[in-house]
Amino acid sequence: MSKYIDLSILEIHALYKEKKLTPTMLLDEVFERIEKEKDLNCFITICKEEAYSDAKRLEQEEVRGLLWGIPIAIKDNIVTKNIRTTCASKMLEHFLPIYDATVIEKIKKEGLLIVGKMNMDEFAMGSTSETSYFGPPKNPWNLSFITGGSSGGSAACVAARITPLALGSDTGGSIRQPASYTGIVGMKPTYGRVSRYGLIAFASSLDQIGPMTRTVYENALLLNVIAGHDEKDLTSSTEPVEDFTAFIGKDVQHLKIGIPSYLVSDVVSDEVRCVFENVVSLLKENGNTVELVDISYLEQAVSLYQVIAMGEASSNLARFDGIRYGYRTDNANSVDELYEKTRSEGFGEEVKRRIMVGSSLLSSSKAKIYYDKALSIRDDMRSSFLQAFEKYDLLIAPTTTTKAYSLGQGLDDPLKSFMDDVLVIPANMAGLPALNLPAGFHEQLPIGIQIIGAPFKEATMYQLASFLEEKLALDLEGGVHHDEI
Amino acid sequence: MEKLSVEEVKHIAHLARIAVTEEEIEKYRVSLAKLFEMIDQIHLIEGYNDDMMFSPCEEEAILRKDEIGDMLKEDEVLLNAPHKNGKFIEVPVMLNE
Repeated sequence: MSKYIDLSILEIHALYKEKKLTPTMLLDEVFERIEKEKDLNCFITICKEEAYSDAKRLEQEEVRGLLWGIPIAIKDNIVTKNIRTTCASKMLEHFLPIYDATVIEKIKKEGLLIVGKMNMDEFAMGSTSETSYFGPPKNPWNLSFITGGSSGGSAACVAARITPLALGSDTGGSIRQPASYTGIVGMKPTYGRVSRYGLIAFASSLDQIGPMTRTVYENALLLNVIAGHDEKDLTSSTEPVEDFTAFIGKDVQHLKIGIPSYLVSDVVSDEVRCVFENVVSLLKENGNTVELVDISYLEQAVSLYQVIAMGEASSNLARFDGIRYGYRTDNANSVDELYEKTRSEGFGEEVKRRIMVGSSLLSSSKAKIYYDKALSIRDDMRSSFLQAFEKYDLLIAPTTTTKAYSLGQGLDDPLKSFMDDVLVIPANMAGLPALNLPAGFHEQLPIGIQIIGAPFKEATMYQLASFLEEKLALDLEGGVHHDEI
Repeated sequence: MEKLSVEEVKHIAHLARIAVTEEEIEKYRVSLAKLFEMIDQIHLIEGYNDDMMFSPCEEEAILRKDEIGDMLKEDEVLLNAPHKNGKFIEVPVMLNE
């Protein structure tokens, strides 16, 4: 028999209004499924007690918006008051935040139910979620494969239909890339669209929180809740928040769509190219113009990203010193030794490597020739994108160069995690919104495509995504290996 | 690819305030060199403009009103401190350094 949790949010909402279903009943299903799917290792902390207590409180009030009483999973780098937030690191293994991130305040106000904190790459640094201190999450489509990362736990949770919604964060593809590997919809909104207050910073000029969901419509619903200006985040935009579902279901016929040529070059595998070309044909058949466009410096985007992301990371992670919060070594006789040993013992391999490279790049002898140069080229890259949007409504590209691969495959190569993100990094560099849509399969593993929009054009992206979602009509339940449906 | 020298790795580790063992130094000599080699590809780019993009945010910074709001309580500040003594956070002796 179907479970209530597998119904669409609109159907759940209708049942809530008719009083045929309660949030507690829905949570019973979620926690049963969490238990059943524990091999996925997608949760770091399960918030059973808090979720039931929130549900009981909701049941004392009238049903409100569409997301009232809907369970949600939160990436473990978004702080939650009195709920452990680890960033998947030994450094924050016992960290108990004393405030809620702005996105958490918003979803609580809307009546969503937080059921747990999700596994991820340590401090969001990685492309497979294997750098987690708590062990890697597994891909629901095949348990010996990676989920992608860094929001791998959030992706696995939604793909396995444990919760309909999750929040992730995306610094260089960390929402879209795992969404592609697990067959879900993942949106990195325009930089500034969603407040970063309470997101534990990795690279502040690139980080953005976004929704990870089963469907395009449900993704837009969640963005409606979390978007908006926040005086606690200096970089959050005052751009008005429209209804992101407004254009969903509207016909797509005369769009001008560009494909950045480097993003379909020989870096892309045949299996992904095949899925992508199918989408291009579909768009053309339906009366849209699709053509190649050159965007400057995409070939060097990964190197530019490394300079900016690792530079900012080294600065942001300087706060972890073992004094005010987090792990502290037991083995130090001086303050210097305390810093160095705490950081050596508290951070994992990938994080240490990135902090070291970033510290070197920002040192006085190198800052000008690396960091300043990267920021200048970044400015040119953004201008080149904005120029393309004068001609095209949207850009499309594959999300990943391959489908998901086996756990452990890339662990010895320090460059692999960056190369996995070669197609997703440019949107972060330019601050553009970009969304992963599941678009096909190869050997029973999902493959996604990416829709990139001009700044603040999320509603148009959702329009195209929902059109393709309907036309492609993929069976994405394969990621569910619970067997009761 | 040329490996970094032991001294270079030690210098970078010191900048990052990360203690490294002899064994780790040998690993970093290779892995950091690989990363720097890739990063050096940015030197292939010429003819770019000098304007720097620090952030994609194009809006003027808006300052909030300078009003006293909620403040952290003492027990909240101390909640996550790994070592504390009464209402103080404890650190190793530093005056003799």
